[in-house]
This record gives sequence, C-alpha cells and structure tokens, in this order.
Amino acid sequence: MTRTAADLLPLRGAELCVHCGFCLQACPTYLALDDENDSPRGRIVLMKALAEGAIASNDPDARRHLDRCLGCRGCETACPSGVPYGQLLEQTRERLTTGRPLPLVARTILFVFARPRLLGMVMFGARMFRATGMPALLARVPGRLGFAMAMLASTARPQRAYPAADPDGGRGTVAILDGCVMEGLFTSINRATEHVLDVNGYLRVAAHGQRCCGALHAHAGDAALARALARANIAAFEKSGAQFVCTNSAGCGAAMKEYSQLLRDDPEWHNRAAAFGARVRDVSELLAVAGPRTAGSLPGAPTVTYDAPCHLQHGQHVTIPPLTVLAAMSQLTLIPLTDSDQCCGSAGIYNLIEPELSDQVLAPKLAHIAASGAAIVATGNPGCLMQIGAGLARSGSPATARHPVELLAEAYRKS
Amino acid sequence: MPELATTLSHIVGTRYCLTRATELLAYATDALPGNRRRPRLAVMPGTRDETVAVVRALYAAGMPFVPRGAGTGLSGGALADNVVLLGLQRLRQIITIDPESRTATVEPGVVNAALSKAALPFGLHYAPDPSSQTACTIGGNLAENAGGPHCLKYGVTLNHVLAATVVLPNGEIVSLTAPSEETPAYDLLGAFVGSEGCFGVAIDITVRLTPNPEHVHTMLADFSSIDDAARATSAIIAAGILPAALELMDAATIQAVESSIYAAGYPIDAAAVLLVEVDGAADGLDDDVEAVVRICRACGARMVRSASDAIERGRLWQGRKKAFGAMGRLAPHLAVQDAVVPRSQLAPILARMAEIGTRHNVRICNVFHAGDGNLHPNIPYDAGNADESARVHAAMSEIMELCISVGGTITGEHGVGSDKLAYMERMFPGDSLDAMCRLRDAFDPERRANPGKVVPSHRCKEWHAAPGAHT
Repeated sequence: MTRTAADLLPLRGAELCVHCGFCLQACPTYLALDDENDSPRGRIVLMKALAEGAIASNDPDARRHLDRCLGCRGCETACPSGVPYGQLLEQTRERLTTGRPLPLVARTILFVFARPRLLGMVMFGARMFRATGMPALLARVPGRLGFAMAMLASTARPQRAYPAADPDGGRGTVAILDGCVMEGLFTSINRATEHVLDVNGYLRVAAHGQRCCGALHAHAGDAALARALARANIAAFEKSGAQFVCTNSAGCGAAMKEYSQLLRDDPEWHNRAAAFGARVRDVSELLAVAGPRTAGSLPGAPTVTYDAPCHLQHGQHVTIPPLTVLAAMSQLTLIPLTDSDQCCGSAGIYNLIEPELSDQVLAPKLAHIAASGAAIVATGNPGCLMQIGAGLARSGSPATARHPVELLAEAYRKS
Repeated sequence: MPELATTLSHIVGTRYCLTRATELLAYATDALPGNRRRPRLAVMPGTRDETVAVVRALYAAGMPFVPRGAGTGLSGGALADNVVLLGLQRLRQIITIDPESRTATVEPGVVNAALSKAALPFGLHYAPDPSSQTACTIGGNLAENAGGPHCLKYGVTLNHVLAATVVLPNGEIVSLTAPSEETPAYDLLGAFVGSEGCFGVAIDITVRLTPNPEHVHTMLADFSSIDDAARATSAIIAAGILPAALELMDAATIQAVESSIYAAGYPIDAAAVLLVEVDGAADGLDDDVEAVVRICRACGARMVRSASDAIERGRLWQGRKKAFGAMGRLAPHLAVQDAVVPRSQLAPILARMAEIGTRHNVRICNVFHAGDGNLHPNIPYDAGNADESARVHAAMSEIMELCISVGGTITGEHGVGSDKLAYMERMFPGDSLDAMCRLRDAFDPERRANPGKVVPSHRCKEWHAAPGAHT
C-alpha cells in the first residue's frame, strides 16, 4: 500500500491516527475539561494543522490546548493503531518554542537542571531550607506556594545507614543515573537503590560525567538542550563500561530508553543512542530479574497500594516488576488502587506551570487512595512522589508516598 | 451570529461555546476522518437544563444544529456543515440504577462501558456493546440504534431502551415511552431510536439492564479459507444454536490486530477466524460448545480453542473490538462500510467482494458480525492519493450495490449519516423516502435538527417550504 502523501507529513507518526476516539477516556485532561481540543485525538488534529501550516505557530488557542497536555501518554496504551503520541507532542512543542519563550518558572528550572554545579547549589539550598522545618509548616497554606512547600516537605526522609553488602556481581555490572531530584532531594532513595542492587547481586560502577537526563527539556520543547544532555549521558555511561544503566526515576528511564528517537536525525549518535537505550533498566526491572531476594516485613506491617507512574506504565510498559518488588516483603498487604493507571497530575514540572488543572487531575487520585485505606502509596518516580506526597499532606491524610525500593531497603535493614 | 454566540455563552459559559476556527477543527469530523465539515460554532451544555435552554435559543434564532455524543460515529452523522454543533459529552451523569427493576436512567453523554461498569456490582450490564463502547455514549447509541457483537443474542439498542425525555427542535419537552400491552399506542420511542439526531435531543434515557450470564464460553476457530469460516457461520445458526456473539475476522484484520497493543493471540497465518461465544446457565451449555466445535471442524477449521479464563476471554474480545482502530497501521485513512446481507449468502458475497477488491486494486479488511450477516468491509487507503481514493470509492459503491442486489441493506448499525446518503435512493423508492420525510416532520417540521442527513433532501416533497432547507 502506498503512503506517499503521509510520508510528506512533517509530523512523523501522525498518519497512524484514524481518529477512532478510543483514546478519549484514557486522557486525564479530556476527563477534566470535556473538550476534544484537550483530548489526544483533538490535539493531534491541532498538531497536524500546525505542521501543515493551516494554523499559525503563534495561534493562542492551539498553544493553550497543547500546553495543557500532561504528556502522560496514557493514550498510547489505549491506542490500537500505535500512534507515538509522546513523540508527536515533543516534535510539536519543539516547533512551538521557536519564537516563544517558555514561562519563567519553566525556563528557570530547565536552566538550573542543565548546569550541574548550579543544580548542586540549588538542591543544597533546598535541603537546608527543608531542614528548618519551614516547608512543613507552610505546607497547608492555600495556593501554589503552599503546594510547592508541601512538595519539598514530602521529600524529607531520615538518613539511613545500610550495612555493607558484599555483592558478588553475578547479576552484572550497573551504573546508576543519579538523577537531579533523586540525588538532590530524595538522597536516601538513591542510597536505598544502591543497597538493594548490592543485596541482589549487581556490581555497581560509577559513570562520571553524567548529567540531567533531559526529559524535562524534551517535554518542554527545548530539544537542542535535551540532545546535548543525551549525548553527554551516552558518552558517560559508555565509558563506565557497565552492562546496565539503572534509574529509579520513571521519567528519566522513559527518556533515556528513547534517546534514539531524540537523536534520530543525528547519524553519528543515533546508533549509539539505540545501544544505550537497550541497556537502560528501571531499578524494579533489575530487581525482578534477580528475584528479588525476599525480605522480612516492614515495621508495623503497613497496608500498601501501588500507583503506576505514567512513564513507567505507558512510557516503558513496565507494569509487573514494581509489584514483584513489593511482593518480596513478607506480610505486606497490597491493596489494589482504582485507576492506578491514571496520571496524578505531576507530569514533570506541569504542576508548577498548570497548577489548576494539575489539582483537578490529582483530586480523583487522592480520593481513590483514601478509599483504598492504604497507609503507604508506593510509586517509582520523583514527580509522582512529590505530587501525591504533597496532596496527601495538604488533605490531612495520614498516608505517605514512598518509592518501592526504599520500602524494600528498609525491610532488608530490619531483617 | 455573534449575538447567538453571546446568548449560548451565557447559558453554558464561555469555555463551552467555541467560536474560533482553530478550536472548531477537532469537531469537524467523527471517527470517519476522510469527511470533514467545520461547524459554525460548537456548544457544550453541562446540564440537562442548559441543554434545553440551548435548544430553545437555537429555535429562537432559527439556527440548524447537529447533536453529537463522543464523535465515534462511522457514517459522518455528526458532521455540522457550517451550522451549530451541540456536544453532549458533558452530560455524563448516571441518574439512577434500579437493580430491582433492572433499569438505569442516564444522561446522554454517559459512556457505554461506564454504564456496564456501574451496573457490575448488581450483577447486571448494558447489553448492546458496540466495538467503540469504551468511548461512545448512550445518547449516540440511541441516535444510531447501535449494535455490537452481543446483539446477535441480546438485541440492538432499540430492544433495550424503555423511555427517553426528548427536547424537540422547537424546545418542547416530551416523554417517550415504549408502548406496552396495557397502554397501546403508536411506538414513538421506537421511531425516535435510530433517528440519527434528526428528531431532537434525548436528555435522559432509561434503559434495560441485563443480568450477567451464569457461564460464558468463548471459542476461537481458525480457518485456512474465509469461505469455510462463512459456511461454518451459516451452519452454526442453521443447527439451532444462538451464540451470544459470532464474529469473523479475515487475515488482513488479524495481522493489524496482532501487531497492535491489543494483540490477542490470533493465528497470524489463518485466512479467517471466527470468535464464537455461547453463554447462559451451565445446563446445556456444554452441548452448545460441543456442537460449535464439531460444526467448525466439519467446515474445515484447523483448530478450535477455548478461552481458559476471564483474562484470555477479555484479550480475545479486546482484539476484536479494537480492530477498526488497529487498521490505522495499514494506511492513514480508512473507508468503513456497514451492510447487512442474508446470512445464508455470506460465502458467495465474500467471494464476490474479494473479486471487486482485486479488480480495483484495493485491500479489503473484513471484520464483522457474521452471525447477523452484518458486514464491515474496511479499506485502508491514503486520501491524499486521488487515484487510490477514486478506486476505493468505486470498490465501495460496487460492494454496496452487491449487498442491495442480494436483498441486503446499506447499514446494520452505523447509520446513514452523510456517508451513505447516496445509497438511500438505490435502496428505497421515492414514496418511501417521502414517507420518512413526513415522519421527520412530526418531530421537526422546520428540519433544523441534523439537516441534510439520512434522507437526501431533494427526496422530500415540499422541501423548499422548510426554513432549514438551505443545506
């Protein structure tokens, strides 16, 4: 079958959409706003029209509806035709950012994340501020300031010392992506990640020169910077010689697995990116392959529910491994969470630039968590941990958001 | 016009009255994207009261309008050509579920699958299950008299709607109920079901809920020729078995589904598969299963396998129900047809359809309700290629002629809409078309609701007298 006209479309992958509408009910913003312009197929109509020049790239309506997309990619899991929606969105946002500055908040964050020393200083400042207890006090203040404070407060963890494990390395060598927010604010989760990998037979090696994964930059349309960061990471992890590139952040993992898409027009880097992507694993994938080694129960044998990060479920199609990790703990009662495959509204920095809609998307998530009665919500992505963590704290819920790996490390420590 | 937009904005809020060209693009098509017509404006009321107010404002302005559910229709029925598009997707409240009387009353924007989900705790479901049920709305189902795989045994939408409150195009509110033996009357509700948005807007709909079957047995029979699969279909029905569903998929469809996220484990080297489901009380079900297996084998099935559990059954059905969307993998556009033929003639008709496809050099993908004889020949193509588009159109016309010539009809469940308007004159004599116009006039004498659909306007006598006649 010829597809000449489609091949000319400057928006690669859009021709797969036959407008069937099966994506509508999978879209959090369509469910919140009831307008097809805020649905996957409606946005694809806008993206095509932009690509074809039928609407101008500064059209405020097109921009508003495309800006409001969370990029959760829940529509990809619902799409029978395999439309690569996430890639269409990134291509379109790249097109839209030419000639239009991003909101100041977004620009500031992207600027900081791309500069390691500055990022280190900002994260240090944030940790110091968190230690004053002020963010926790201000967490219930109404509005965005209070929400940001609650997000920061939700990252606080007691520092744990883990007994040295003697890894035999039989499972292979692993280089860990430190991650901007993970190493900056969820430091203890990174230490926990190291410990559970040690316990499960992986030999850790360092990857010097690694940077931010560039996911936020790509999502926001700054593809040039995202590509520069991708090349730096590919080089750094190649040099490490590690068999696996491990991340405990679903958003970073999805981005790194898809570096070859980001660099598809770069003949020098495309194949390297594909080889790199094939070595990337979410930490839960590595643990699931290893068993993982079973652990005793968590203190108090809490009830746990699991919320699937979008970029793990829809972006990487990793659904079972996090549950396998949780099942390694004895006496852990896992309660199913209604609509656990729906976005929590975090979506990278979306909750800071589209606060109202983010809140609307978060509300049903909090209601389902409350209905589950679980004491802990396990989820493997820094954005979701902060979004759900802040939402729980602000709604007065006693439940907390935890990374599956920190629960496992805690259980290992106790047993 | 700006005046009307202001009035409508006051009723529904500015956010839900779209007037700018960019925002109307997404509403220029239903699920048949080859056909595009831009509405003049789109208005989306959030409550039943707002809906009534909108219809009354449109009446006062003499403005034609097109009601639309989720825009998953396949006949271009919800296209609004420079008139007002009335989107009902925000009306998605399930008003009541009454497990005692096994009924539910819902707003028109409730998604079909959402109703069954809500009824599940009572052991009930809403039986008509169009393949788009995860997205389409009950209001849209009502307008199209939608079918679905399980309608073979359980009946189509018409058999499950008990009452509806309707806003007529002049703003008057009427209650339509199915006549019973105690209250004999003309079946106005029956006339309304399947009226494709031409008779008014239903703002609440009472439907029958069906008890979930005690036992369900789903089989997949694998054939090396589509002819054998068609013969098996006729033989199963002829043997007196009434399956809950009996679906046929050909090789092209199987391959599209198997390369999608909904891969169901269909044999990719098969020329056709039959998906056969029988359900009911445990007693006697095994006999039906045994008979279906025997008949399929006698007709040449290479293998008949049964779903071992609910998960596998779900996968087998998801593959079937998402097949239409999966065809986007084959080409950027899809011509979708919907015709009903006498079931006994399935095999020769499929052979002649294949011959038509070969002659016009187009690829026909068959996925259809075989038990009903309800064909869905789909042709993936590129609308940007004029030569190919012309060949697809010619092939589809021949296929429809063929279906009509053997005593079939031009739609089983997708409706006439705008896509099949031209076939109406081949199907019905002028007097019949005029009678349809006069029935419509009883509901919408000004012909402002979904103008220009279903019956070609020039077939209506006295058409020129109608104010909405410009389309």
